[in-house]
Amino acid sequence: MPKRMTMALFSGSIDKLTAAGVVLTGAAADDMDVDIYVLLQGARAFRKDIAADSTKLEMAENPQLKQEFLDSLKALNVNPWLEFFRDAKEISNVKIHVCGLAGKIWGAEKLEDFNELVDDIVGISEYITAAQESDVHLFI
Amino acid sequence: MSQEELVAIQADKVVDARGTACPGPLLAAKKAIAEIKSGEVMEILSADEGTKKDIPKWATKKNHEYMGTVEESGFFKIYLRKA
Repeated sequence: MPKRMTMALFSGSIDKLTAAGVVLTGAAADDMDVDIYVLLQGARAFRKDIAADSTKLEMAENPQLKQEFLDSLKALNVNPWLEFFRDAKEISNVKIHVCGLAGKIWGAEKLEDFNELVDDIVGISEYITAAQESDVHLFI
Repeated sequence: MSQEELVAIQADKVVDARGTACPGPLLAAKKAIAEIKSGEVMEILSADEGTKKDIPKWATKKNHEYMGTVEESGFFKIYLRKA
């Protein structure tokens, strides 16, 4: 049985999403099954139009350094945050679930309102159950 | 395995991950090892300091054999044999 990781991804800021993507890549490279539950601010970042342009997102910390952060990522040849999620899905069993309420708050009610990497829209009990059964649980 | 023996190895697959930072080399290694057969050798080129520890740890955990690392000027080569 592969080890399981659940991640509650509350954040919708470009720095935290990048960090979440790096952690996710490590778990996926380790062949873990990963279930990501995208909560409030995260759901906005995965909205189709916003996911398509990550420069629309802000930094959670040191907001004044956003441009420096983006330039540095570019210089280091690090992909935009969403690509970490795409790569992880390619190499392991990674599912992205969006909280239904969070989607509604940002005007995204249906699966097609989100980026194509999102697998489904779920309720909170599914997240709690998955977290109970997982080996590693993160809240980012 | 000695440095001389490592240097003499003809890898079955070479992954040049020098253009990427962590976790890029790990991702590249993970993808590439799926493309070789059991017992074959993969060589990963990287200049990312964290990767020097990261890939041997990952490989050992996945039961691949970590054969060793060779330092070059400005980068290094990690040798793995697929389980």
